[in-house]
Amino acid sequence: MIALRDALEPVAEALLRQARQDADAVTHAARRGAAQTIEDARRQAREIIDAAREQGEAEGKAYSAATRARSARQARRTELAARRDALEELRRRAGEAVRALRDEPGYPRLVERLAELAREAGGDDLVVREHPGGGVVAEGPGRRVDCSLEALAGRAVDALGAEVERLWAP
Amino acid sequence: MTVWAPLEYTDVAELRGPLVMVRGTKGVGWDEYASIELETGQRRHGLVLEVDHDLAVVQVFEGTAGIRAEGTRVTFAGRPMRIPVGPGWLGRVCDGAGRPLDGGPPVTGTADASVNGFPLNPTLREPPSEPVLTGISAIDLLTTLVRGQKIAVFSTGGLPHLALAAQIAAQAGAGGRPFTVVFAAIGLTHPDAAAVRDRLEERSAAGELTLLLNLADDPVIERILTPRLALTIAEHLAFTMGRHVLVVLADMTSYCEALREVSAARGEIPARRAYPGYLYSDLASLYERCGRVRGLPGSVTVLPVLTMPAGDITHPVPDLTGYITEGQILLTGDVSAYPHIDPLSSLSRMMREGAGPGRTRPEHVDLAAQITAALSRARQARELAELVGEGALSAADRRYLALAEAFERRLLAQREDESRSLDETFDRAWNVVSVLPRRELTMLSPEALDAGYREDG
Repeated sequence: MIALRDALEPVAEALLRQARQDADAVTHAARRGAAQTIEDARRQAREIIDAAREQGEAEGKAYSAATRARSARQARRTELAARRDALEELRRRAGEAVRALRDEPGYPRLVERLAELAREAGGDDLVVREHPGGGVVAEGPGRRVDCSLEALAGRAVDALGAEVERLWAP
Repeated sequence: MTVWAPLEYTDVAELRGPLVMVRGTKGVGWDEYASIELETGQRRHGLVLEVDHDLAVVQVFEGTAGIRAEGTRVTFAGRPMRIPVGPGWLGRVCDGAGRPLDGGPPVTGTADASVNGFPLNPTLREPPSEPVLTGISAIDLLTTLVRGQKIAVFSTGGLPHLALAAQIAAQAGAGGRPFTVVFAAIGLTHPDAAAVRDRLEERSAAGELTLLLNLADDPVIERILTPRLALTIAEHLAFTMGRHVLVVLADMTSYCEALREVSAARGEIPARRAYPGYLYSDLASLYERCGRVRGLPGSVTVLPVLTMPAGDITHPVPDLTGYITEGQILLTGDVSAYPHIDPLSSLSRMMREGAGPGRTRPEHVDLAAQITAALSRARQARELAELVGEGALSAADRRYLALAEAFERRLLAQREDESRSLDETFDRAWNVVSVLPRRELTMLSPEALDAGYREDG
């Protein structure tokens, strides 16, 4: 029995050695696998953190851009409203100035000239009458020519074109 | 030219929908500009749609709500609509007929011009040249926009073509040269228009943008005018003021639908899908207003954006647009990442005039061709993989699939607020082609490969 055990000793040793080697290999592989998993997890975590940081930065940038855009729009709106008010004021003063012509000595001559102008535009059959606010209005069937002072003042301001920009130009 | 005693017509025969019928008119012509004064003193504007003897039919931009036949006075301008032109448009937000929406005074200009444009002498035309950089990698690299070119964006419903159009309008530039964008929003819903306005706020505040907003509930006749207004403004900024101008027209399908509606109202014989027979020439009269003129420094580049109803590229609107434009950028739902550009169906026919040595990068055209060829091979490999499984593909085919994946992830995908410099786009492009072994890159010169190829790619 003992002889048999002795005889098998080298086999048992070889098997044991082999088993130990296998175990070592498995342990190594497991360690390598674990290290790889940890490395992968770290890289993934880094990527997630980077992506989150990038997203956060993008959101922050978008938020500040939106805030900046809102305030820029508000400033621009105020400036444009002021320009419109200036133009309206010019229109009002032009109207006033033209209405003052009624007290001028040359006003009857002006009315005559406006009546001629209205007939030239709309035909001789138009009936011309004075407008209560000054100037004339000529009317006929289906036609009308407005040469009231107020309308003329409006047309004069419209005709200024880009010159009105001098109201707000620096 | 001011008419000091304009003749007003007071015999309004009928009011119907947006139409006013005026009797007793003399010498009034089609497309003449009209102004309508209400009893209240309020002023509206319109265009003559039809004339029959002394009866003129006027379509009112603002609609006829609140108008009474009695007391309404109509004046005809004696010519088609004209608008003031000049720098006064920069930084302004107006409606589709040019009236201010930003609370400011009406836009004024040093000169005025007919919105129908002035046909350019063909012998004075210069071919498109030099790039317009959009800051969008897929466009700048593969379908480079060229100054003076017309190139369309084709999209289907549900894709963010408006966001892309707004991004291009917000980011585009001409390499430091004076650059302006005229954005004509045609038939947009209120939320879409608000989104476009927000996106373009910064550029507008910088005085580099004119925004014309025609909304879905605005009258159709105004929708027909909007692109014409945009192009008229752009032509002056380009050819008189020497700026490079990009005109974005979005969405041209809404424009064509408006054209169809007006054509039907005029009783014209309908052609394909009830669009008028002159749809091609009408679209050409808009798109052909782009270009460069000999001896003048500026350029007009036109970017029409259109949705293909039911994704049908043979629909008359994309079909006829495709005949006229010099290339297209096609958006597809098959590409999951924004901006959803299909690189194999997109093409800029003028790209060679705007890319390459002295313009962008020396290797640009070859690199773009190499990427397109590789994406095409990847598509074939994917089709093969669907039959035999990816495992059965050759190693080379698998590298091509990896390239396609890298292209979409590293180059095509881009945030809506992200503007990429040309250097960054090329850096990413070299990263993408380096996924393939160097021996596969046969379209690139050895010098270009030495400079750009990354062995660890």
